[in-house]
Amino acid sequence: MWRIIGDALKQGVVTGKAGASLPPELAPAQREPEAAHEALGQALRAEIQRVFRRSFKLRHVDCGSCNGCESELQALLNPFYDLQRFGIDFVASPRHADALIVTGPPTRHLVEALRLTDEATPRPRMIVAIGDCACHGGFCAGSFATLEGVHEVVPVDLRIPGCPPRPAAIIRGLLSALGRSAPGAMVSGSARV
Amino acid sequence: MSLGRSGELFPLAVALRGLQQRFADAVIDADRGSLREHLVVVPAARLREVANALQNEWGGTLVTAFALDEREPHGRFRMHLLFSMAPEDAVLTLIAAVPGDDPRYPAITPAVPAAHWLEREMRDLMGVIPDGHPDPRPLVAHDGWPRGAHPLRKDFVPPAEWSWAPRFGFTPVEGDGVFEIPVGPIHAGVIEPGHFRFSTVGEAILKLDVKLGWKYRGLETLAQGQPIQRGLELAERTCGLCAFSHALAFSQAVEESGGVLAPQRARAIRSLAAELERLYNHAGDIAGILTDVAYTVGASEGLRIKEVLQQVNDALFGHRFLRGVCVPGGVARDLDDGQQHWLRLVLHEVRADLEALVRTASANAAVMDRLNGTGTLSAAIARDLGVVGPAARAAGIARDARRDHPCAFYRDLDFRVVTRTAGDVFARFEVKAEEIHESLNIIDQMLLHLPGGPLAAPLGAIPAGAAGLSMVESPRGLLTHWLRAGERGTIDAWRVRSASHANWPAVALAVLDNIVPDFPLINKSFNLCYACVDR
Repeated sequence: MWRIIGDALKQGVVTGKAGASLPPELAPAQREPEAAHEALGQALRAEIQRVFRRSFKLRHVDCGSCNGCESELQALLNPFYDLQRFGIDFVASPRHADALIVTGPPTRHLVEALRLTDEATPRPRMIVAIGDCACHGGFCAGSFATLEGVHEVVPVDLRIPGCPPRPAAIIRGLLSALGRSAPGAMVSGSARV
Repeated sequence: MSLGRSGELFPLAVALRGLQQRFADAVIDADRGSLREHLVVVPAARLREVANALQNEWGGTLVTAFALDEREPHGRFRMHLLFSMAPEDAVLTLIAAVPGDDPRYPAITPAVPAAHWLEREMRDLMGVIPDGHPDPRPLVAHDGWPRGAHPLRKDFVPPAEWSWAPRFGFTPVEGDGVFEIPVGPIHAGVIEPGHFRFSTVGEAILKLDVKLGWKYRGLETLAQGQPIQRGLELAERTCGLCAFSHALAFSQAVEESGGVLAPQRARAIRSLAAELERLYNHAGDIAGILTDVAYTVGASEGLRIKEVLQQVNDALFGHRFLRGVCVPGGVARDLDDGQQHWLRLVLHEVRADLEALVRTASANAAVMDRLNGTGTLSAAIARDLGVVGPAARAAGIARDARRDHPCAFYRDLDFRVVTRTAGDVFARFEVKAEEIHESLNIIDQMLLHLPGGPLAAPLGAIPAGAAGLSMVESPRGLLTHWLRAGERGTIDAWRVRSASHANWPAVALAVLDNIVPDFPLINKSFNLCYACVDR
């Protein structure tokens, strides 16, 4: 145990520390442009603060994504982003949730599951579509086996596009919706709690 | 080269000779399909017999099987059964015609259990009926699918009214104290949807029924008649975590169909990126295993390392999941000398951190107590089911497409195929931990002398009807893409089989006699995808 504590002390705080940014003399690879976040998030800020009183519990519903969005949602809980310090967390049951985080086009096979999960969520609740698929069908658009966006099944309050959106983009979307932070405050690792 | 199971140096030649002699009346035609693939045409009625001999006497391993709709103009469905002839870099493909108006043939699953899910899937998607298949239930199709709707048929028109509501037949287990636990498709964590039906007595699992297909997006149907570029988009998004492997497999299938070889530098960068993908996946798996035994310190460290590796992907290639790196013909991204130097420095730290993590975790009695002897998969079952990747290697089966069917730069690289014999969670943990070292070694080799030259070869026009097969060792195991070109640079048919597709049936067996609370741990040690199984 002492060794673990010693290692932890040596390691220091990794939260928000850019672990792998290129040194300044090297040109970073050209990145795909990060899609603009929905202005809707800003409009919702005051409303959610009033309704949820700043406690914000999320229930994730995978409706047929490629697992990329799930991976980025999981990354939100790693020591680097550590979403829980903002008072946001994922819960195991829709009955404990303030918001549903939905990924995937959705596939027709999961429409009923999404509907039932939504019914099980106490009102008021917020529905956040994460990733291009959930926002508008994404690359699956045109398939007979999928719909073209979560809004075809349940009303969507916030869209966070991207394929998949980077964890920082998801946080920006959620935080701006919650009014905790101005957009852009997190990415550089200078987030204030 | 080591000897094959039949004790011969060239298992393909032995198998071909055996087929010609034993089944002289059955072999209609035999010819070389490509440098790697040999095609043998047999009547559908004899398929089971021939497949049986090929597997059990001549050392073939079924890697994938699929059907093609050739009713127009030939009036038939064409079936392909691909057998790897490892250790020789050769594939023997059995081809059989099934009549278009009465698409039935004797199922090969009773002789070759590895075909279990493949045949069920063919029945759903193509409507080719394997007579005598032990499991009559649909696999991808959920029970609301209307009769006669087979999405991979060329004349498929999605019905306007389509009930997708799930009503499954599960195998009931009866007796005193037997309890049934349904789980999913929506799970408690941030994970993909699948339905698991446990039959238990007390805490022990008597039977596990796995129902997947929830994420079925119809990708292979969607690709039909589309340009190659669209196919690449679909391939990269078949699976988020194996995005690069899928892009690589797809690109190589296109290249083979067009008779193009990617230039040296492209192949080197492909191998490097494939290992970067394996690194962040394996680091994530180790973190996941430690999460499921509630060893939070180790899990956090593992997740931190995974995050660092994904940020490396992002900084070097512009995408955390390495999308957009591999394209048909070569690669779209280069690494300059400064980037290579920086990568070496970062990975040097990653190696030390991972080593410390694995050492600390393995020295923890509480962790070891959960990992040792849990979720054991025997070599015999793994071999029968055609299990691939780290799961197979942890059960003592030294299968690795990087060595058996080398692509990209692997032929010129020096690495070890890591194996264990226990087949339990700890064996899979150890295999992944050691494979991280091998991956880092491979990347070091690449960075020592990355060959020069162009990044991509011009693709040119692909003749209609030309086919390509590609086999890639993804982080989870063997991934195959098969592609046939259509008119004017389109895709006529595209078939994918991911490692998870091969390994899921094994999970249902590895959990037997374990306790329910260990299921997440066992599942995580396989860490299979759902998206690329359902497609």
